[in-house]
Amino acid sequence: MAEFNTSIKDQGAVSVINLKGYLDAHTAPILENNFVDLIDKNRYQIVVDFKELAYISSAGLGVFMAYIEKIRESNGDIKLSGMNDKVYNIFDLLGFPLLYEIFKSETEAVKKFTEIK
Amino acid sequence: MYLSFTGSKINANLSLWIITALVLSVFTYRLLFFSNDSFLFSVIQDILVISFILVLTLFFIKKIRLRNPNPSTLVLNSGIIVAFVFLVIIFAEKFLNILFYNVNLKFNNPGVFENLVYTIYALMILGITCYWFATFRELHFYKEYRKKNRYFLTMVVFITLSSISNLLFRGKDYEYIYNTFFIISVILIALNSVKISWIAFISKKEKISLLVLSIIISTLFILNLINSSEEQFSGKFLTNFSPSFYQFFMLILLYGAIYFTVLFFTTLFHIPTAEAYDRKAKEVSSLQYFSKLITQVLDFEELAETITDIATKVSSADAAWIVINDGDNKKILANKNIAYVDADLINKYLLESGVCDKITGTKICNLDKFAEKSKLSEKFGSIAISPLKSFTEIKGYLIAARKNELIFYEEDKTAINTFSDYASVAIENSLLLEQSIEKERLEKEFDVARDIQRKIVPLKDPEFENLSVSSVFIPAFEVGGDYYDFFEISKTKLGFIIADVAGKGISAAFIMAEVKGIFSSLSRMLESPKEILIKANEILQETLNKKNFVSALYGIIDFDKEIIRFARAGHCPALLVRDNAVEAFKPSGIGLGLTNNSLFKIHLEEIKIDLKESDTLVFYTDGITEAQNKELQDFGDKRFTEILIKNANESVSQIASEVIKDVTLFSRNHFQYDDITLVILKWHKKNNIDGVKEWQNSTPQLKTRVL
Repeated sequence: MAEFNTSIKDQGAVSVINLKGYLDAHTAPILENNFVDLIDKNRYQIVVDFKELAYISSAGLGVFMAYIEKIRESNGDIKLSGMNDKVYNIFDLLGFPLLYEIFKSETEAVKKFTEIK
Repeated sequence: MYLSFTGSKINANLSLWIITALVLSVFTYRLLFFSNDSFLFSVIQDILVISFILVLTLFFIKKIRLRNPNPSTLVLNSGIIVAFVFLVIIFAEKFLNILFYNVNLKFNNPGVFENLVYTIYALMILGITCYWFATFRELHFYKEYRKKNRYFLTMVVFITLSSISNLLFRGKDYEYIYNTFFIISVILIALNSVKISWIAFISKKEKISLLVLSIIISTLFILNLINSSEEQFSGKFLTNFSPSFYQFFMLILLYGAIYFTVLFFTTLFHIPTAEAYDRKAKEVSSLQYFSKLITQVLDFEELAETITDIATKVSSADAAWIVINDGDNKKILANKNIAYVDADLINKYLLESGVCDKITGTKICNLDKFAEKSKLSEKFGSIAISPLKSFTEIKGYLIAARKNELIFYEEDKTAINTFSDYASVAIENSLLLEQSIEKERLEKEFDVARDIQRKIVPLKDPEFENLSVSSVFIPAFEVGGDYYDFFEISKTKLGFIIADVAGKGISAAFIMAEVKGIFSSLSRMLESPKEILIKANEILQETLNKKNFVSALYGIIDFDKEIIRFARAGHCPALLVRDNAVEAFKPSGIGLGLTNNSLFKIHLEEIKIDLKESDTLVFYTDGITEAQNKELQDFGDKRFTEILIKNANESVSQIASEVIKDVTLFSRNHFQYDDITLVILKWHKKNNIDGVKEWQNSTPQLKTRVL
């Protein structure tokens, strides 16, 4: 199956996870580990950037649900950014825009975190 | 220099020429310049004799090495010769006395013929002495590192010094020098005789014969030593010939006496364990061990353990392990008697530095050039590496290692190679078996999942006067989570659901079964799609794992009121085909199980559509719109809409089959990744007979298509 990888960079208190490639049942554990690592480091302000993501399956969507509760309890959030139309459509059908803040660009999403402060 | 094997540089012919030249020069010299009183004569003669000893010994060393004999042969040969020498020494005096009347008198002033006979006799003893020495050296280094010869070299130096000092200092003012050299030589001889490692490698039968031989030989050496003492004829004779050689001869006899006495005792102590060793050796050569491998192919780990275990026994190695190629990684398995880190270091040296990759059979490598040798926690020095081959590739390697000074020899190679061939077959079989079991298990799982799914979705479409219904369901190979169902709520109301469980395989199938249970009971209790979905979310929120969720669309058709009401929980939109146009209805709603009920409730919208004649309602799962072709393009909404408009006036079954035909055609060269579900409803005004006819003409066989 196609490749998937992530990279994390810190911008102040905000951590940005960049997704690249195909996120499905087989590759979802990679992203899951990213969330676990960030939670371990008490970094709860997370932006996930989809700019380079080509495809997401339902199992890929599930990863976001697995940790959101814990992150929000710790006064953090996951904000999503940079989705192409196809990926946005999948999120939209499931009602994700009602559960998550979705931004056009990574910068806007990061900015949103800092504004709250 | 003496033992650094310069002999190998001289070719055999050349050494023969040199030996002949030296023999002739000794003869000529003695015949021409014989003098009993001249010290100069003795010195020059000894120089000739010593160089002769040197060349001859090197020549014998090379000869013996070339034949590569086993130690028993060497022992037997020296035994025959020592017996011969024994007889010669005893009878020499009598024989020469008969020949020359009174030998003793002629020592000092021999005639030409006597001189010739004496010289031949002395050179014969000299040749034999050199042969013994070469034999002792070979025995000393058998199954040992040839490099570790410091003791031996020191001994050789002192034997030489002691020999020369016999000529120069014996019986003179500096006799203590001779005595010192002599004592050190004796100590070194004793030290070098102590280590006899090859004894462990021979069979019990050989050990017993060795025991008898060694006691006879050591006795003969001792007797020769006594018979050659200075008071005896031989002693006098050889001293007269060359004091240096006499000393050398005596020291070699002493070496023989000590070595074979030590050998006798060593063998004696090895006899009790000989039987155990023999039994092991026999087991190795029999197929008993190999057959053990065949019974263990069921458990790969256990098999690997057995292989390394047997490998150490077969090759008398100290440690063994298996390396398996796992993609680009090399995985160490069943490391026996060696730390994982050590095995890893050695692997890196052998396989990554290019020393032993691309081998086709067992190869013996030593670790002399291994830069990180000092990092090893134990002193592994010699390695035997064998490839584990399958039909097409090298799956890994079986590696055996010996510690310290023991090294692998060519004869070890055959045993290891044969064994590794058997091990390869066993490993190959085990892996194949494992794969087929895993494949079978997966297929079973898919079978179960498909079976559950088939029992969950309706067997046939329901039939109504005003509504024709056609549904198509095509499960993917690795079952997705599609589910749809119809519920006859009352005579005038039909409930239906289309859902997609996130996930695949048996776990999705179980959630599907749960979803079916929830909706079939809720549809009897509640008559509002919105309320049913809210209740379903409440239940699923509790029961589902956080990562799981279900997208669903629930609708109710009211035949009396001629309306359809539906709510969508994260599912694909509902499509209405009316007046040659497609309208997508996507009321707000979050997938089931994604969020808590208060949030879910707020965002869930219910839609009501008044039905008109020939209104066609299309419900589907993303298996249709996300079906991909070889270029990884999606089938998409546009193609879907177009085909619906084109066939808008056809019967429901016709529309369904056209859609499926198009999707199948589009993705014909690509793997069907997700389940495909399509439900089409067509409304017919009351008392419209066409609708009924249409249903009867539908083609039910489409529903059971399985890829």
